[in-house]
Amino acid sequence: MDSVSDIRPRKATAAILHRLSLFAPGLILVVLIAVIGLVTPEVFSFDTLIVVLADTAVLFVLAAGVTFVIMLGGIDLSIQAVASLASVVVAALVGLLGFWSVPAAVLVGALAGLTSGLIHVVLRIPSFIATLATSGVYVAAALILSGGRAVTLTQAGRADVEWIRATVLGIPAVILVGAAVAVASFFVQRYTAFGRFSTAIGAGEEATWASGVKVDKHKVIAFVLSGTFAALAGVMLTARMSSGSPELANQLLLPAIASVIVGGTAITGGVGSVGRTLIGALIVSLVRIGMTFVGVDIFAQQIVFGVILILAVVVTIDRGKIPIVK
Amino acid sequence: MTALLSTRRLSKAFVGVQALRDVSVDIGANEVVGLIGENGAGKSTLMRVFAGVYGPTSGEIILHGEAVQLRNPRDAADHGIGMVFQEQSLILNLTVAENIYLGREGSFCRGGLIDWRRLNGAARRQLEKVSVDIDPRTRASELSFAARQMVELAKALSLEELVDRHLVILLDEPTSVLEQKEIDLLFARVRDLKQRASLVFVSHRLDEVLELSDRVYVMKDGEVVAHLPAKGTSTSELHQLMVGRKLNAEYYRESKQRRCSEEVVMRASGLSAGDAYRDVDFALRKGEVLGIAGVVGSGREELARTLFGMLPHTAGTLEVDGQSIVLKRPSDAVRAGIGYVPRERRVEGLVLFLSVLTNMTLAKLPMVTRTRTINHAAERSLGRDWVKKLRIRTPSTVTLCVNLSGGNQQKVVLTKWMNANSRILILDHPTRGLDVGAKEEVYELIRDLSANGVAIILTSDTLEETIGLCHTILVMRDARITARFDAPPTQKPSQLALIKYMV
Amino acid sequence: MTAGSTNIDGATSEQLGSNISNKPKQPRAALRKRLAPWAPLLVLIGLCLTIGLLNPSFFQVGNFVRIANTAAVPLVLACGLTFIIMMGAIDLSIEGLLAVGAAVVVLTAANDTNASDLGWLGPAAAIVLCGMLGLANGIIHVGLRIPSFMTTLGMWFVGAGLANVLLGGSQVRVLDPNIRAIALTRLSGIPLTVWIALLVFLIMLVIERFTRFGRHVRAIGGAEDLAALSGVAIGRTKVAALTLAGLLYGIGGVLTAAQLGQATAEIGNGRLFAAVTAVVVGGTALTGGEGGVVNSLIGVLIVAVLSNGMVLLGVPPTVQQGVLGLLIIVAVALSLDRARLRIVK
Repeated sequence: MDSVSDIRPRKATAAILHRLSLFAPGLILVVLIAVIGLVTPEVFSFDTLIVVLADTAVLFVLAAGVTFVIMLGGIDLSIQAVASLASVVVAALVGLLGFWSVPAAVLVGALAGLTSGLIHVVLRIPSFIATLATSGVYVAAALILSGGRAVTLTQAGRADVEWIRATVLGIPAVILVGAAVAVASFFVQRYTAFGRFSTAIGAGEEATWASGVKVDKHKVIAFVLSGTFAALAGVMLTARMSSGSPELANQLLLPAIASVIVGGTAITGGVGSVGRTLIGALIVSLVRIGMTFVGVDIFAQQIVFGVILILAVVVTIDRGKIPIVK
Repeated sequence: MTALLSTRRLSKAFVGVQALRDVSVDIGANEVVGLIGENGAGKSTLMRVFAGVYGPTSGEIILHGEAVQLRNPRDAADHGIGMVFQEQSLILNLTVAENIYLGREGSFCRGGLIDWRRLNGAARRQLEKVSVDIDPRTRASELSFAARQMVELAKALSLEELVDRHLVILLDEPTSVLEQKEIDLLFARVRDLKQRASLVFVSHRLDEVLELSDRVYVMKDGEVVAHLPAKGTSTSELHQLMVGRKLNAEYYRESKQRRCSEEVVMRASGLSAGDAYRDVDFALRKGEVLGIAGVVGSGREELARTLFGMLPHTAGTLEVDGQSIVLKRPSDAVRAGIGYVPRERRVEGLVLFLSVLTNMTLAKLPMVTRTRTINHAAERSLGRDWVKKLRIRTPSTVTLCVNLSGGNQQKVVLTKWMNANSRILILDHPTRGLDVGAKEEVYELIRDLSANGVAIILTSDTLEETIGLCHTILVMRDARITARFDAPPTQKPSQLALIKYMV
Repeated sequence: MTAGSTNIDGATSEQLGSNISNKPKQPRAALRKRLAPWAPLLVLIGLCLTIGLLNPSFFQVGNFVRIANTAAVPLVLACGLTFIIMMGAIDLSIEGLLAVGAAVVVLTAANDTNASDLGWLGPAAAIVLCGMLGLANGIIHVGLRIPSFMTTLGMWFVGAGLANVLLGGSQVRVLDPNIRAIALTRLSGIPLTVWIALLVFLIMLVIERFTRFGRHVRAIGGAEDLAALSGVAIGRTKVAALTLAGLLYGIGGVLTAAQLGQATAEIGNGRLFAAVTAVVVGGTALTGGEGGVVNSLIGVLIVAVLSNGMVLLGVPPTVQQGVLGLLIIVAVALSLDRARLRIVK
């Protein structure tokens, strides 16, 4: 029975578009690597690669967390504030708690996510607004805790978080943490009920609710994950910078979201995965680093970034599943 | 009869589907032409071609003797063809007047600015044409369904002012959301309109089509298979032409209706939900099919939703398996073993853009018990089994549900609850929008479920279906139960007997 | 039994009347519906009274002028954003485009970095350029079918980058007295920027209520597919809305440069948060179809009054963003007709 607005994707073209969107991010990545490699082969020295991957790891962890929220059909704009808050918590507590400042910071992130999630679910405020609001609160918290300035880790403190700068077989621990996050997230998405249900909620919330799924509970879980990962990213960043600051993650919100979208996850949810976000994060990272290597004027880098962002989305968006584009 | 609007060898192909094949029909002036056929027969496609929503792949459309190309609905409107859509096509956050003149406000503009007084005045005149008393400045969202349908009719009629010729008005299943009083009014208007327009009337309700139309076209598999005058034709003739076989006298499978057990699975005592319904008592037994009959506003819709946790009751008790419970949300109901097949299949029944398999397991995921992770292998084999058992026509279990026909979609919804081992099923208008063949398959399923001990509560589109399928029938009126009927296979109550308590 | 039977099931229990007419809603629901749209205004009044009670200097004329001045640019930005949000889309490029506008006006009029002195051509060029960037937003969104979120996100970077390139990463001061006069001149004690903002607001109000474009924006936000069936030019309307917004952001950039007397590439920072807050707090739904520029005016005033109030009450700057965040939650929680919202994304 057709409805007025029955927009069925034509079967063959939808299949092609779907196929394309599946492989496009990977293709873009390969092309990027090739282009950069051709222009400046020295990029692919082991050392540079390590730096690239290490930077990407932080971005990826941040983006992986928000992927869970986006998959459900929401958005978390507070991730950068949570990351900064976590960094300040580590810096402030490392003298007191040593290593335990890290789990404390991650816990703070989880609580922040829980708060955002509850405000969204209980007060029924759209996630865009709820997280916009909570980001202001978390920034204020970070400012108060840090006294409004960056807090460097004390010498003793730095030694305690030195483990994060350590290398295992020559690979920085940051990358390993990122890899662990990737594996854990893949597992969550594919093998847990939460993973399945959050995709379903993003793709069709009414039907999922009417099938007996506890939608609100899963939404809150997604936000807790987002906050936790954001805090983890903040901790990783703190270690790399040897200081925690309320502004630390300031430039990371948009690249994080860009990573999710460029990877092919729909901003409306229901389509996508953390695996795609990984590719997206690599693309975003490579674009930024590649531009510097290729010699793009530093001021023009933002323009290039914006253009590449749009182009990447053109290619990776799964049009078969998005009838109306808003 | 000189045709006003005709098609000559019209074909329309979508990717992989030949929706229309060499269709040639004529619509004359001042007449009502009925168009019937099963779902997928092509009648909606044909209407949409007339309305400019689709363009033909080949063939011609001839209007007033000239071949025309209708590139979009606006184009069609400019040629005097207007459509009243089956599902509401008013934009709810706009006013009635804005809806009527949407896209055509230009004629009310002065210096680029809209003269609201003139526009509202013109809207009022259109509404008078259909004898409706609504302030054109009302927001569409505040109107009842019937009022909205009338506004849509007025909108189609407003084309008269624009187009200096005889109109063609396409009515696509206009009665499915209307109550009988309103249907009568609609028919009266349509008969009045024959003076100034031709009408094409599509409906699943064969008797309505015969009552209203002058001539009827029957479509099957994209082709016109018959063309009859309405007078003198019977619905069973039409039915046979539509499905190509004789109507099964056993339509509701009454011979399969078995006695249900005496074990009570759900009991309601003094159940009330605010003003929606009050003091409802019933005892639902294992394997029983319990029907609830009532008009809109009788409280049965709300009762059905309470039983699935979508509208918690405010007084009285509800017991499932002897335990008193309050169902605050659907997950409570599912945990109690209750399933729900909703009326809005595409919104509440299925996640359209996910696969058949995912939808089937949405109410109960097959897990590996030790690790509490999803057992993908078990899931895949479950999917294959269900598809086979229910004869679901789908290319594979990973096909997206949006690509299935209505009947097969409904089967997936039913599968979901069968997979979840629901012991109580609430079926809310389960055959709405399904063609005859699909309906019969659903009736078979209902009988099988009942025989297997599943208790079913049924609210249906038609009294006949309720009477035919159920063991017991509750009748509601004005928020209370007014009558109870037993309906054993050999002694079914008559429709009249029920109606007495419904209105 | 025959199939396709008559639907006596559907008979009503109403009296035999003559016409189908409108059924009035239940009284309780009607009251709730009527109060909700007023919530933002009530919040504004409540705020004013509370702050005034705690610090009566809030009520001085000079303070109101200060509030109006703070609210001028946000109002212009919010008006542009409102149309886009009403369509059901979003525009994240505000900060980038505003920076471009400021950069262009500052570099074309007399300034301390280059030798140009083009006077009024400066603002004109700035506004036109920003309009073109808005147009680009529209064409990419509609032509390439990319969600507005991503399109405008990309354009944000492009705009910010462009401003960076133009300004060479440094701060450029405006020396042209006419440009500065935009901010410094006062008519009846009120700065010109405020008058300009009000004029822009009124024009947008007329567009919203009295033009086809304005009504079509609403229709698209309500039900895009249905609007298309009625012949509303969806693509053209969307492009027009994004272009118009671009023009307004350009005006915002010019006004900001005039107010600050200079431009840097960071001049737009924080404007997106403020604009979205204002639009949402004012009661325009993010999902589209509801609200309008009057709502955004109230929202802008709420934010401006709150910032002013926090300063008057001595609230430390570190806490201010937090307070603003809480305000958003409260204002939105009050004004949403949540009883009807099953799905909140």
